[in-house]
Amino acid sequence: MTLSNSPHASAPPPASSPEPVTREASGNKRSAWSMAQEERFFLILAVFIGLFSGLAVVCFRLAIEWSKIGLLGPRLEPHNWRLLAAPTLVGLLISVLVIYIFPQVRGSGVNQTKAALYIYNGYIPFRTAIGKFICAALAIGSGQSLGPEDPSLQIGASLASALGRRLELSREKLRLLAPVGAAAGLAAAFNAPISAVLFVIEEVIGRWSAGILGSVVLSAVSSVVVVRWFLGSEPLFRIPAVALVRPAELVAYVVLGIVGGFAAVIFAKSIGYFRPRLRALPRWTQYLQPALAGFLIGLIGFFGAPQIMGAGYEYMDQAMHDQFTWKILALLAGLKIIATTLSFVSGTPGGMFAPTLFVGAMLGGAVGGVEHILSPHLTGSTGTYALVGMGVLFAGFLRAPMTSVFMVLEVSGNYSIIVPVILANTFAYVISRSLQPTPIFDLLTRQDGMDLPSMEEQREESILRVEDAMQAVTSPVLNAEEPVEQALHRVQSLDADLFLVRMSPSGWSSVSRDLLKRLASEGKGELSLGSALPTGRLPYLHPDLPLEVALRHVYQSPLVPVVSRADFRHLEGVISRDAVLNKYRVVSRERRD
Amino acid sequence: MNSARLKPLVHRPSVVIAGLTVIAILAFVSVGRLASRFREQQKALARRLYARGLDEQRSGHSDLAIEDFRTALGYNRDEFQYQLSLARALRDTGRTDEAEAYLVSLWERAPQDGAVNLALGRLAAREGTIDKAIQYYHNAIYGVWGPNQDANRRNARFELIDFLLGKGARPQAEAELITLAAELPPDPALELRAAQLLIRAQDYERALKQYQKILQREPSSTVALAGAGEAAFRLGRYRAACAYLRTAAASNPQDAQTQQLLETCNLILQADPSRRGLSNAERRRRLRAAFDQAGQRLASCASSQAARAADPSVGAALASLKSDWMRLKPRVEASATTVRADTADTAMDLVFQIEQQTQQQCGPPAGLDQALLLLSQVRGGVDR
Repeated sequence: MTLSNSPHASAPPPASSPEPVTREASGNKRSAWSMAQEERFFLILAVFIGLFSGLAVVCFRLAIEWSKIGLLGPRLEPHNWRLLAAPTLVGLLISVLVIYIFPQVRGSGVNQTKAALYIYNGYIPFRTAIGKFICAALAIGSGQSLGPEDPSLQIGASLASALGRRLELSREKLRLLAPVGAAAGLAAAFNAPISAVLFVIEEVIGRWSAGILGSVVLSAVSSVVVVRWFLGSEPLFRIPAVALVRPAELVAYVVLGIVGGFAAVIFAKSIGYFRPRLRALPRWTQYLQPALAGFLIGLIGFFGAPQIMGAGYEYMDQAMHDQFTWKILALLAGLKIIATTLSFVSGTPGGMFAPTLFVGAMLGGAVGGVEHILSPHLTGSTGTYALVGMGVLFAGFLRAPMTSVFMVLEVSGNYSIIVPVILANTFAYVISRSLQPTPIFDLLTRQDGMDLPSMEEQREESILRVEDAMQAVTSPVLNAEEPVEQALHRVQSLDADLFLVRMSPSGWSSVSRDLLKRLASEGKGELSLGSALPTGRLPYLHPDLPLEVALRHVYQSPLVPVVSRADFRHLEGVISRDAVLNKYRVVSRERRD
Repeated sequence: MNSARLKPLVHRPSVVIAGLTVIAILAFVSVGRLASRFREQQKALARRLYARGLDEQRSGHSDLAIEDFRTALGYNRDEFQYQLSLARALRDTGRTDEAEAYLVSLWERAPQDGAVNLALGRLAAREGTIDKAIQYYHNAIYGVWGPNQDANRRNARFELIDFLLGKGARPQAEAELITLAAELPPDPALELRAAQLLIRAQDYERALKQYQKILQREPSSTVALAGAGEAAFRLGRYRAACAYLRTAAASNPQDAQTQQLLETCNLILQADPSRRGLSNAERRRRLRAAFDQAGQRLASCASSQAARAADPSVGAALASLKSDWMRLKPRVEASATTVRADTADTAMDLVFQIEQQTQQQCGPPAGLDQALLLLSQVRGGVDR
């Protein structure tokens, strides 16, 4: 599905929108300001969006660190009373903020950005960015099991939207700005521009388009530059030495993919099951839910597993360097799923990326540890399995297969790991898709009563092509050099009324039997068809083009030639309006059945 | 309001870009200040945790120290020293993989750094990977150190030699020792350390010279005396060895090794029948004692071999020696006052053969047998 074809694309902004989305006048003045200039300006704007998003994410990360040190202390240690008090009290504060001041900051932020793109014409209130910033920083800093990436994505999108509105951009451009800002925010949070660009294209926009790709890349790169400028270029993790010595070891990664797939399903199903039930509880419980979730998470930390609190990047790093035994790793993976489910279903603002990576790293390390015990000759370190595990959960839980592969490559900077990553991710993705047909982001949007386009469904949708509705040529094809009289003679005995004419030196036209007769009666029988027919040419199609393209042309001409891409004069078939509509009817009947 | 002001901003790109640039600069400055304050705060926190970690390490709580170093590093990831201390603490607690990851990342940042290379060398040495260890130790020896560069480089070379000797790579160790000895400053402690390594490398000649050099400056150095005694002993210079060892044992009677060497040395001097200045009676007594001792050793060895039902060829060799011994016995015991020179030589040759053969078959001897065996290695006697 393309943006312009979206059923929601041209919908008006919601009645509750406090600011106008755009001025209609801007559309009328396009003649004064050329499209090319606008494109160039849009690219420059993307750089600024990247810079501002990067700055916002830097502040966001500082805020998280400050709140963490202030609330939990500089070191997370079990049996520290702050582990219980901080998430509980901050949970109460967050519920008040979310209910009274920032009602749109619940959840991760990915779906809100998609909703802005598909429903609200790119409109995200600036207040959302502020609310997300404050609430997510407090939540993550107090130990709620959530990550900063998705909120960063939403903050970036929100800043971009605000800038676009301030500049009174056209509605079309305004819609494109949200993903540009989203990519910048995510890239800054991850310190990984390629993964951010891919995620936004894979999960938010859902299509590769040269027009937007340039802007998304520019914004992502500029935001990463800003973050590295202020916070350094150190990667999120120290990556262990990675090497695949024997291809037979791939089997071990397949096992990891299978285990990861099941874990991703459990994770997604828990969130999918508890979230609507908690939201259906009486309104007064909404005040207590984040606090109760915080208390339960604090209990886990208090009684020995403070690693599951917060984003947990430092512990992923430790898992990658054999810091924990496989039993501890497995325990941490399980507890993190519980803790993240609690945090997320309680409506606490925060992201799911970091917890997903945490669960993946711990699970990968645990599976790697068990495999090492069962098969001591395996050469891959536990850290390698932890690294691959991160990609596995990303593919299985967030269902972004391309991003999952590139994220591991970008984070590790080691391309020798690509085969295990692809293999394990594929298994996890396939298992997750079979057991949990609706991806987590789509599930959440449906629970929220929205119907945003599912990128996974779009990716897997079979595309109807011209060749599917094309018909064989049964009538003779006339040549432009042929005299009118001769052509009339050739078609006289045939049933068809319309005939294609191969023009010289190229192009196609058509002529009806009646027109041939009229030309002959007007004394033009000796003239060639090329000179007698009107100068207009017929559009032509190629067999591989989407059927949607044909639909645009079959209304202009009852018969459209379908020609070879190698030789435009070679006719492969013809397509008519009836054939196209008939094909759509057949397919929709098949889908219904 | 005029019409220009009504024009949407989007249609005035230069104004927009200029405005955004100004805002970006202001935002950069503000965020820069904020980030700088944040970094300072983090660094202060990291310093506090690092100092605590050092205290914990000193008091033997390496696990707690690791946690502190790790947290300190979390707050200041670029700090070289924190990372190095963490890696060392991890290595000391046996978490070599993790230590290596930290060290390798430090090495990538500063491949010329002596301390990092030394830590990597130690790690490789601990893992037993000789080539890697040698490579890192050499990097450390020729690497960049802060203050005390010469001392650090020398210590790295000492460690490398120690490692090489531990791994039985004697030729490489000797080569390093020669370079080390040439670069040593006039410091008795360092010279002693080098001399001890020369002993371990079995380069007794150089070791003796090194000890003698030390003794020239510090004639009463017990360690040097004992070392020189050992070196001379290994070289078969028993008279000199006994002299050194006697002085060393007198100054340090608690040194059991020196005492034992001295006893053996004395036994050798007392057992050697070819020593100059002996009376005929003493020479004959020594010859008879040696001959009888060899006979007893041969008998006990033969009976133990028979009890173990050893290889028949071994039994045959011992039986042949026994037969030689029995044949020579009357000639050795014949004279009451003197022994003919050719008989003495033949008898001592047989004694040496018996001691060498029985050592091979029945293990190393002790007491007088050991003295005779050592004498057999310096056929000219202690006076050569």
